[in-house]
Amino acid sequence: MAKSYGWAGKVLQVDLANEIVNKVPTSDYRPEEFIGGVGLNAKIFWELGCPKVNAFDPANPLIISVGPLTGTYGPFGRGEVCSISPQCYPDELFTYSGFGGMFPAEMKYAGYDGIVILGKAEKPVYLSIHDEDVEIKNANDLWGLETFEAQKVLMNDEPEASILVIGPAGENLSRIAVILNETKFAAGQGGFGAVMGSKNLKAIAVRGTGVVAVAKPDKVLELTKPIIEENKKGVPLLRAMFRTPYMAPQETKDIFARKYFKKHYGCYGCPLQCHSIHYIPGIGLSGVSCANWLWSPKFSIDPKEVWEANVLSQRLGINTFEGIIGLPLLLALSLEAGILTRKEIEEDIGLPTPKWLGGTATNHEFLTLLLHKIANGESPYAEGTPRFTEYFGKKLMSGEKLVNLYKELYTARGYAFHHVDNLGSALHWATDTRDPVDSCHEYKNSAPEAMEHFGLPPYDNYQIIDLSKTVYQGAERVTAWVQDNQCLKNSLPVCEFWSLITSFYNPPEMDLRIFESRLLSAVTGLDMDVGKIAKAGERIWNLRRAIMVKRENRTRENDTLNEPYFKKAITCPAGSATGLVNGPIDKAKFEALKDRYYELRGWDVNTGWPTRAKLEELGLKDVADELASIGKLP
Amino acid sequence: MLEVPKSGVLVHDPDVCAGCGVCEVMCSLYHEGVLGTALARSHIVRHPFTAKHGHNICRQCSSPSCYFACPLKDKAICFDGTIGTTYIDEDECTGCGICIDACPFDPPRIKINAEKNVAFKCDLCKGREGGPICVEYCPFQALKFVSKDER
Repeated sequence: MAKSYGWAGKVLQVDLANEIVNKVPTSDYRPEEFIGGVGLNAKIFWELGCPKVNAFDPANPLIISVGPLTGTYGPFGRGEVCSISPQCYPDELFTYSGFGGMFPAEMKYAGYDGIVILGKAEKPVYLSIHDEDVEIKNANDLWGLETFEAQKVLMNDEPEASILVIGPAGENLSRIAVILNETKFAAGQGGFGAVMGSKNLKAIAVRGTGVVAVAKPDKVLELTKPIIEENKKGVPLLRAMFRTPYMAPQETKDIFARKYFKKHYGCYGCPLQCHSIHYIPGIGLSGVSCANWLWSPKFSIDPKEVWEANVLSQRLGINTFEGIIGLPLLLALSLEAGILTRKEIEEDIGLPTPKWLGGTATNHEFLTLLLHKIANGESPYAEGTPRFTEYFGKKLMSGEKLVNLYKELYTARGYAFHHVDNLGSALHWATDTRDPVDSCHEYKNSAPEAMEHFGLPPYDNYQIIDLSKTVYQGAERVTAWVQDNQCLKNSLPVCEFWSLITSFYNPPEMDLRIFESRLLSAVTGLDMDVGKIAKAGERIWNLRRAIMVKRENRTRENDTLNEPYFKKAITCPAGSATGLVNGPIDKAKFEALKDRYYELRGWDVNTGWPTRAKLEELGLKDVADELASIGKLP
Repeated sequence: MLEVPKSGVLVHDPDVCAGCGVCEVMCSLYHEGVLGTALARSHIVRHPFTAKHGHNICRQCSSPSCYFACPLKDKAICFDGTIGTTYIDEDECTGCGICIDACPFDPPRIKINAEKNVAFKCDLCKGREGGPICVEYCPFQALKFVSKDER
C-alpha cells in the first residue's frame, strides 16, 4: 500500500457494552471521497445502517472525526461530532456539531481519523487513548464532577492528555448538554453531551505522540504564508470583537479589557486565537467567545453576572446558546408581550424573577437556579426550550401564545434564530437538520464577494429585509453553493468562523475552493483540484440527504421553517443582528424556490429525494441501491 | 581549553503565550515535514486551568554538557559559527543517547527520533532566512530570539 499522507490512517471503534476495542483502516471509508469530519462521520453512519433508534438508545453511535488538514498550521484544529441528536425537535435527527481546541490534533497524532462509540457501559467509564493503547477505565470517581474538576482529576494521571468531558448536565441527560474540551471548546449544538451521558461515558482522554506525514511540506509552508502575513497586519477582527462582551455598553467592555482579561486563547495550531481567557476572583477562570457573551445585553451588563453565566454553564456542561440566551430570552419576551405574568414565571415555571422579569430577585439567584435545574436534569428546562415550551404550553392559560412566540424565536427543528435575513439562508435552514450557524454568516459576509467571483446572483437580490426588492429567482444557486462549501469546510476541516474572512481576504488565491484544494493536495499528495473538492462537498451533502431520507423519512414537506416565518415580519432578538426585521417569506414563492433547488440539486421535485442519476454521478451507487431497496428512490 | 562560541537563545513569555501550539506545528513541519508534536523541538506545557503555559526547548547552554558528553563531538554535535547554536548532525549521530543523559534540564531538551535513530534538538533554525520559524509564526510574540550579541 502506498504511504498515506494527511490522514492518520485508522478509525477507532469502541463497544462500551461488550468492552471491545477495534481499529479499522480509514481507507475502508474512502477518505479521498468523504474527506473527514462530517463527511467521514456521515459515511460511517451510513455504513452502520442509519439506525432508527432514539438518541439515548445504546445503538446510537457517537462519532467523532477529524480531517486531513487537522493539526496543520492555520484554522484547521477542529473535529466534528455526529450522532442522533436529542436536541432536535420534534424528531431526533442525525446531526453534527463542530468543536475546536486541543483534542482534535491530539486525537490525530494518536493515530485516529475517527472514533466511533457504540453501546452503553454498565457503570461510569472513561476512554483512555494513548496512541495504540486504548482502555475503557472506571470513572466512578469522576461521575458527578463538573467539567473543569473532572479534567483536572484526569490530568493527574494523564498530564499531557487532551480531554473531552461532560458535566452533570450530560450525565443527567439534559438535551442541551455539551461535550467540552478545556474551559471553552465545546461541541455545543445537538445535545451530544447527553448522548455521552446515556452511554455512561464521562470522558475521552487522548494522548498522541505519533506523527502524520505531509506529502509536500514545503508547499504547505508556502501556501499558508499569507495566513501569517494577514495576522501580522493587526489584531484580527474576530479576536478583537469577541475579546469583551461585544453587545454590552463600552463601560462593561472596558472593565473586562482592563481588569479581567488574561490572554487570548484558541484552537491548536491556529494563529487567530479568537477566544479569550478572563478571570474574576470568586467566579473563576474560563475561556469565552461569541455566544458566551450573549447573557449580557438583554439581562445584565454587570461584569460579574455576565461572567458567572458563562463560567457556570461551562462548568455544568450546558450549551450557552440555549441555557443563557434561548430560555431566558423566551421568558423575557413572553413577559413583554403579556403572554406570561411574573406570578406564572415564579409559581408555575418555578424560577425567581430578576428585574428584567418584573421581580426583585438577583440575577445570581435566577442564573444559579436555572442552570442547576438544567444540569440536574429534573425540570422541563433540562429538556431545552422547545420541549419546555411544549410542556408549559399545555399547562398555562396562554400556552398557545407561548408556543407561537417560541416558533418565532426558534426557526426550525428546535434551533434558535440565527441570521435568517435572506432567502439563501432560509432555504438552507429549511433543508438542514439543525441550525446551519456559521454558514448563515457566510450568506451575508463572505458569500457576496465569492458570488461575484463565481457569477452567482448578488446578495442584495435575495435579502428579506426590504421585501420590495426581494428576488426569489436564483437564491437556490447560492444555497446549494454554501451548503456544499459547508460540508467541505466541516470535513477538511476549516473553521467556518475564520473562513468568513480568510477564505476571501485575498481572492481568488485564497478562495475556499482554490486555496483549500491546493492545501489539501499539498498535505495529502493527491490531486484534489477545485472541481474534485467541490464535488466532494456536493457528495457529502447528498449523503447527508440520503441519511435524512432513509432514517428520518425526509420529504419536501419537511423542508420548511416554523409557520411564523411565512406569516409575519420577525425581529431578531439577540446577537449582532439584534433589532433587524425580516420577512415574512412568501410561502408560494418559497415553494417555487424549493422546486428550483431540487432541480438544481438533481433531486426529485415531488419528494425532495436524490435521484439515481445524481447519486451515481457522485459515486454513490451503493446509496442509490439501498434507497431503491427501501422504496425511497424516485 | 576549548572556547565555546556564544549562542543566541529563544526566550518564552508565559504571560503572553496562548498555548496555541503554532510553534510546535511549524517546527515539526519545517524540520521534519510531518504533523505532530513528537518531533517538534519546541514543546508547550499546557495548563488550561491557569492559562499559564510552560515551554521546553534547548537553552543553548554556554557550557553545553551535551556537546562535552558526545562521543562524536564536533561530528555528531557541533557548534554553528553564525547563529552560535550547538546542533546535531543527523548523518553522524548514532542515537546513543548519551547527550540526553547529559542534558541538565528536566525533561531533557534533546530527544530521540526513533524512526531515524538519531537525537534531535533545537538548532535555532540555523541557515533559515528570517531566523527561527517559531518566532516568526508566534501570533503573540511570546517567543523571542535573543541573538548571541544581545545575550
